[in-house]
Amino acid sequence: MTTHMKAQQSVPVPSIWSTEGAARLGSGATVTTSHDDGSIDHGVTQAPYERRFSPYDFNGGTCLAIAGKDFAVVAGDTRLSTGYEILSRNVPKLCKLTSKTVLASAGCLTDVRTLQQVLDMRLRMYEHDNGKEISTPAVAQLLGNTLYYRRFFPYYAFNVLAGVDDEGKGCVFSYDAVGSHERVEYSASGSGQAFVIPVMDNIVGFKNRQDPKPEYTAADIVAICKDAFLTAGERDIYTGDAVTISVITAAGVTTETFELKRD
Amino acid sequence: MHGESGKQSLRGALKEDVPGFNFDNYARNASLPTETTMHLPSAMKTGTTIAGVTFKDGVVLGADTRATGGTEVADKNCEKIHYLAPNIYCCGAGTAADTEKTTEMISSQLDLLRLSTGSPSRVVTACTMLKRMLFRYQGHVSAALVLGGVDSSGAHLYQIYPHGSTDKNPYVTMGSGSLAAMSVFETGFKEDMTEAEAIELVKEAILAGIYNDLGSGSNVDLTIIRRNGEVTVLRGYLTPNDVEPLRTSYKRPAALSVPAGATAVLSTHMDPARPGLEGLVIEDATAMTF
Repeated sequence: MTTHMKAQQSVPVPSIWSTEGAARLGSGATVTTSHDDGSIDHGVTQAPYERRFSPYDFNGGTCLAIAGKDFAVVAGDTRLSTGYEILSRNVPKLCKLTSKTVLASAGCLTDVRTLQQVLDMRLRMYEHDNGKEISTPAVAQLLGNTLYYRRFFPYYAFNVLAGVDDEGKGCVFSYDAVGSHERVEYSASGSGQAFVIPVMDNIVGFKNRQDPKPEYTAADIVAICKDAFLTAGERDIYTGDAVTISVITAAGVTTETFELKRD
Repeated sequence: MHGESGKQSLRGALKEDVPGFNFDNYARNASLPTETTMHLPSAMKTGTTIAGVTFKDGVVLGADTRATGGTEVADKNCEKIHYLAPNIYCCGAGTAADTEKTTEMISSQLDLLRLSTGSPSRVVTACTMLKRMLFRYQGHVSAALVLGGVDSSGAHLYQIYPHGSTDKNPYVTMGSGSLAAMSVFETGFKEDMTEAEAIELVKEAILAGIYNDLGSGSNVDLTIIRRNGEVTVLRGYLTPNDVEPLRTSYKRPAALSVPAGATAVLSTHMDPARPGLEGLVIEDATAMTF
């Protein structure tokens, strides 16, 4: 008797941006003949094969950040999952790096935590070397470099960096897994990225719209984030439970938590 | 043998007595993702928590309502409790198309059998028909079922696996949320429960799946089949995951409501279905007859 198999999600290899189009890292590494749902065949229906250990696990979640005129808003849900299971409903993805910069990362939690620790060390060294707090665009560059150090065994972290720059303007940077980064008006990463970015393209980027774009306040952007996460939570199984939203201004960082659906 | 039949005339390949699935395209499909940039579409699975429990006067079947395609929710309110006969219902987990079509097929076969025998269907008959079909397809029809009903010999509950094996038990769960639901059953099940107790137990089991399994979610559906022949279908018995209250809890910016005319219409082109049709005018409302 075959017991009904709990499907193990096969972990996608981190994608890397490329100017030529979709490039994939090391896709030829594994040679498995597993079922589509990732379950192990015990030599019953197929010949015996070697199963490769994957160092990556996808712990789910969605992060997004939007830059305003003199503020930036960054949000991440708090659900930690693996496969079809929830590990925790309360693991925030946001990490305050400086008084003006917040990093949000989805992906593999252990890689995210280690990346935050490595960044923290390098930020403190910067302060010792330069005698001042590091600016947000400099953090962006530092993060890009830190990720590229691990070009051939990447951090499985999908990052979004947000803060205010030295002129007081809001800035958001989005990253791929190996450090390619770009300053943008808004960005999203993680499992719910595909559900959230089209909404932001229309509402924040105002793409394909002829009506006049309003000037958004921080409260407006926070409401847009809540809406976006409710949407992502409806259609992405890995997004839900709660979302922590941080507003960064020249005065500092304020954080609020908004409850999402728990199913 | 299959390779040869591909070279035969089309008529030969469509012979009625070729049993089972046609695997001619298997090699081609396997090479598509590796040799081209095409991705095969993923079948919609129901993720799922389904459960059933027998009580003093019958059986209660329960199911969640989420259907997933990979990690995306494809349907937030799909129906997983399928009708087989007036006294027999079946919950289905696995590939959505497989559970739907399998239960439809067996429902038709039971209907025909009732016509030819003149007697109500028995649950064991449905079970045997299902397991014979699933075993014939060697597990390729990915349907994991919880079959429950009441017949002349009492109330019965079966669980049927995709490869064709069956178990008969007083309480059963299937699907990715089956462990969460079974933990509730193991804690709370007792023999000869009342209907209210049974409903409460199944409801809690499905809720455990909805909140703790990512493949299950949204609402709880119940179906109660009683020994006296009465059936109550409670579609949407509990809907604890409505998103509207959350959306109204904060002030949505006006820009989230896109006004009419916001998107530019660059050009309009009307193509009539047939030349001359654009001149068709309906003078009155008299129905056309053929």
